[in-house]
Amino acid sequence: MDKKSDIIIIGGGIIGTAIGYHLAKAGYKVRLIEKGYLCSGSTGRCIGGIRQQFTSEGSIKLMLESVDHFRNMQAELGADVYWHSGGYLFLAHSPEKKQAFMDNIAVQRSCGLKDVRWVDAYEARQVAPGLDTEGLLGGAYCPSDGQAYPFAVVNGYAERIKSLGGIVNTFTEVNGLLQNGGRISGVRTSAGTEYHADIVINAAGPWAKDIGRLADIEVPVEPERHEALITEGVDYLNIPMLVDYRTDGGYFQQFRHNGQFIGCYSPVPNIPGHSTDSTYEFLHDMPKRMLKLVPALAPVKVIRQWAGSYENTPDGNPILDRTPLEGFYVVAGMCGHGFMLGPAIGRVAADFIKAGSRSAPIPEFSLERDYSHQEAMK
Amino acid sequence: MKNMANNKDKIICRCEDITEAEILAAIEQGAQTADEVKRLTRAGMGHCQGRTCRRLVNQALSRKLGQNPDEQRTVTQRSPLQPLSLRTLADS
Repeated sequence: MDKKSDIIIIGGGIIGTAIGYHLAKAGYKVRLIEKGYLCSGSTGRCIGGIRQQFTSEGSIKLMLESVDHFRNMQAELGADVYWHSGGYLFLAHSPEKKQAFMDNIAVQRSCGLKDVRWVDAYEARQVAPGLDTEGLLGGAYCPSDGQAYPFAVVNGYAERIKSLGGIVNTFTEVNGLLQNGGRISGVRTSAGTEYHADIVINAAGPWAKDIGRLADIEVPVEPERHEALITEGVDYLNIPMLVDYRTDGGYFQQFRHNGQFIGCYSPVPNIPGHSTDSTYEFLHDMPKRMLKLVPALAPVKVIRQWAGSYENTPDGNPILDRTPLEGFYVVAGMCGHGFMLGPAIGRVAADFIKAGSRSAPIPEFSLERDYSHQEAMK
Repeated sequence: MKNMANNKDKIICRCEDITEAEILAAIEQGAQTADEVKRLTRAGMGHCQGRTCRRLVNQALSRKLGQNPDEQRTVTQRSPLQPLSLRTLADS
């Protein structure tokens, strides 16, 4: 097998496969290297939500594009990815939250997200049948937000990479970066194999910092454990993804294609590190939080719990940039939004690499930015 | 009774209705482990969490790829051990 390609991508999650697909489609010979199996890191552990309701122009516009990709994905990849625009409803239980959502809605609408709107508690119950509206002031509702099935999306991208002449190496771990004349020239694997390319992309998600350090490049991405659970499938209730930002809140949605409810919450305080252990505490707490919002789900049975890593940056925005080492790029730090951002991030990163531009295509995602500003809708 | 011995339509995962043909197709596509077969086909992701099919999936991997059954990994066993209602868990 030829050990030289145009591009080497490290990481077989949504980011690596989306970039690989867009580059392979543009005619580049792509080799994607994944240390486990495809989706074995973060992407395969996410709950599959896709929303355009962000607070910064960069993220909102990317998500508008991503939703377009998801809508067209079945035709583009030749595989059903179970896209469904079930909507997202962010719940406000305090005047401060309501004001923040109103302000966000104004920004989102000005960026072209036309169907996002404020709904009062009565209307919230119309769009989310069964929602307990006690103490609820209303919410930010966007019906064009949605859901898809992460394994199908990543597998669809990977199969297209292969059909376009690329190579996908699973169970292959990169433990060295090769350099030649001050620029990157390839990677070395733990099996001792060397693969060569003039361009190497660090799309290693929660392990992006470790990959950066192989070339002494600091990538400020820290993994953080988030737990999740899924229920048996029941009749589709047409409830959008519910997002409750209170400290005892959570997020959950029902998959249109099989009726399963899937949900998670952000632990307070956060739990740094690579652990993906499950806890009894979550298995007890998450159902409580779900039933507080939709009491009628009481008899629905939980069949499985697991955990995965958010890959966080200090400011909640991704990193998509070249690094000081010529030819070495980093696309990581998706902060829990990798699956939804992935299709658009893949396109932007591919165009950036094709153009060979010097400056980051999205300034707020540059590697050497000031990380003190915060994305509010994390 | 229908002879199912060599029938590619025989069900391997009864919870998700996954046939042997679908398991074999995933292996032909490149799956080398039970974890990959699970994620490509959904075998083992239903109500019983693979109680029956995880052995059958490993047998298929062993037959197709010559894997030693003693060295095969099965998919991670996750709690709860049996389906429990949101109410039961919330009250526990």
